[in-house]
Amino acid sequence: METIIHVQDLSKSYNADKILDIESLEIPKGQSFGLVGNNGAGKTTFFSLFLDLIPPTTGQIESKGVIVNHSEEWKPFTSSFIDESFLIGYLTAEEYFYFIGDLRNTSKAEVDELLSEFEDFFHGEILNQKKYLRDLSKGNQKKAGIVAALIGQPEIVILDEPFANLDPTTQIRLKRIIKDLSAQNQVTVLISSHDLTHITDVCERIVVLDKGKVVKDIKTSEATLKELELYFER
Amino acid sequence: MSIKQFLSLEWKQFRRSSFFEKGLVIKILMLLAALYFAGIAIFAGVIVFFILKKTLPEEDPFKIINNFLIYWVIGDLVLRYFLQQLPVLNIKPMLILPIQRNVVIRFLLLKTSFSFFNILPLLFFIPLTIVLIVQGYSPFMVVLWFLSIISISFSINFLNFILNKNNPIFYGVIVFLALISGMQYFGIFDISQYLGVVFYSFYSLGYTLIIPVLLVILLFKANYRMLKKNFYVDGAVLAKKQSFSNYNLEFLNKFGKLSIFLKNDIKMITRNARPKQVLLMSFFFLFYGLIFYTQDTYRDLPIVLAFASIFVTGGFLISFGQLVPSWDSEYYKLMMSQNISYKKYLESKWVLMALACAVSFLLSTPYIYFGWDIFAMIAAGASFNIGLNSFITLYGGALNRVPIELNQKAKAFSNTQGFNPTQLLISLPKLLGPMLIFYIPYKLINFNAGIIALALSGVLGLVFKSYFLNLIEKVYQKTKYKTISAYSEKK
Repeated sequence: METIIHVQDLSKSYNADKILDIESLEIPKGQSFGLVGNNGAGKTTFFSLFLDLIPPTTGQIESKGVIVNHSEEWKPFTSSFIDESFLIGYLTAEEYFYFIGDLRNTSKAEVDELLSEFEDFFHGEILNQKKYLRDLSKGNQKKAGIVAALIGQPEIVILDEPFANLDPTTQIRLKRIIKDLSAQNQVTVLISSHDLTHITDVCERIVVLDKGKVVKDIKTSEATLKELELYFER
Repeated sequence: MSIKQFLSLEWKQFRRSSFFEKGLVIKILMLLAALYFAGIAIFAGVIVFFILKKTLPEEDPFKIINNFLIYWVIGDLVLRYFLQQLPVLNIKPMLILPIQRNVVIRFLLLKTSFSFFNILPLLFFIPLTIVLIVQGYSPFMVVLWFLSIISISFSINFLNFILNKNNPIFYGVIVFLALISGMQYFGIFDISQYLGVVFYSFYSLGYTLIIPVLLVILLFKANYRMLKKNFYVDGAVLAKKQSFSNYNLEFLNKFGKLSIFLKNDIKMITRNARPKQVLLMSFFFLFYGLIFYTQDTYRDLPIVLAFASIFVTGGFLISFGQLVPSWDSEYYKLMMSQNISYKKYLESKWVLMALACAVSFLLSTPYIYFGWDIFAMIAAGASFNIGLNSFITLYGGALNRVPIELNQKAKAFSNTQGFNPTQLLISLPKLLGPMLIFYIPYKLINFNAGIIALALSGVLGLVFKSYFLNLIEKVYQKTKYKTISAYSEKK
């Protein structure tokens, strides 16, 4: 399969502390890629580098041929939801979705069509609420953010801790959505999680980060969950 | 928890904020500005007595000073209302710790005593008090007078916070001030004379000191009660009922890709407390010209009129524009990772400011009453605002890294008036620029030449619009990471 993401000699340091140090990492197109690691392992740092929110100390990330900190050309095919700072609090959920749709050249009708697929995911608590996003609960905010990241047929989707704060029903639905994305639409999905069960359920490949370094790179199988649990038990 | 621990927390918050990442030059300039104001206050305190004695030899200078004190009170209150930050303390972590609420609140209020606005009067009144004593006024009584004045200064301090949080009282005070100044202006009732007697009585009687002291205690208690009532995480949230408003903004679609941002900005302005405040303020700017055009003294000083003309149409540009891109700080990461080109984003802000200038210009047509030359000047000012000032403002925005909490006015424990010294420095060329552009041709040729030069400068800016936007975009790109990290700093 063709590789869509190349990471090379990527490192990020604050003062003398190296918090991320990845020699090389290649992610093929359409893979669902999971990132696990304890707090401070560098998961969010990696995503922030990927979205060019922080500059790398050395090395680079090449996303579909674009070096992310040199050009903005990666923006049209990349979308993400990292945290609440990706939401616009004073918009209603619909307005927010249409805003993202406008940015990604997706018409209202197309956005509506996409939203209709997520009706059961929203559980009737997001749309037609006459409420601003800032007044929604944390869990519902997260749902809105995740769905917004799927608008406009992105080729790469980045979700940081998507399962946290969600209710069990929604977690199960989200897992199906992510699986479908990579299996049917060839979307490359990068997610991080602290929940080993969820991430092994969803991802074809799991990379374990520890203190900024890749310590495990596993193709998910029956034995993966056990292996991860053993690793983190140390 | 002791005061000492609070102080150490405060110090850490202050010392570790992104403020200190600013350049050395700006720090030095700010220090100089502070020293300058302090110097002026001390100098004025020393000299005011002698000036009055010289200009009005037959009257007691001390009495005249007392007659004028009311203007200080009002001026101080207005200045504080717009500039002084309300006490900010992150209360959430304190709520669940074993600390008594009164301790936190008391600390919060006492903290405000160390504001620059409280120190400045001290710098003025201490030298004045010394001069009075040296000049033979009864030392004991002068000290009583001094204590009264300082009590009043602190009363203003606490009154300001109530005004900021309590709209009925705010409007009440506004109406009261309007009334007394109106009566003063039309000579119906000269309040300053009577208040002068009251102020003088702090010296002549002494025991009236009790009034301002009681006032401070009363206002402190009022603040205390107000804060205590709101001392819950949801204290302010429950009180406000957010109503959802929607309107048709399709007419903006003719701006193409830019309309996405324009529509969003309009929602941002109408649905959040802070930008609404700015909108109101820029409306008041429309009347700024009245101060200058009505006075004959300024008629012969066209440079001052040029200055005023910039403000008539530039209110929104200045008050909103100087905080670009902070308006989007709450979701800046989204803006930076979504499919948005920086240039389009900046251009949309420019269009918004230009539209606001155009609307202000239309609203300013009644100024024709003051003559066509005045109106021509406003038109030239509008041209400058749209063509040049807008770009300078956007450029200045790149240096602005103070996050804004959009809907913060409703919360009791966050500041309502963010004040950014960097912005103040950047605004200097914005104000001096048009004065120079007008003044040089005016001096060399004539009035009309000055107006034409000012208008042309704006047209020139429009011609080079693309070039300017590219230039500004580069600056924004360069400072992008710094801005993102400053905006994610938790308040």
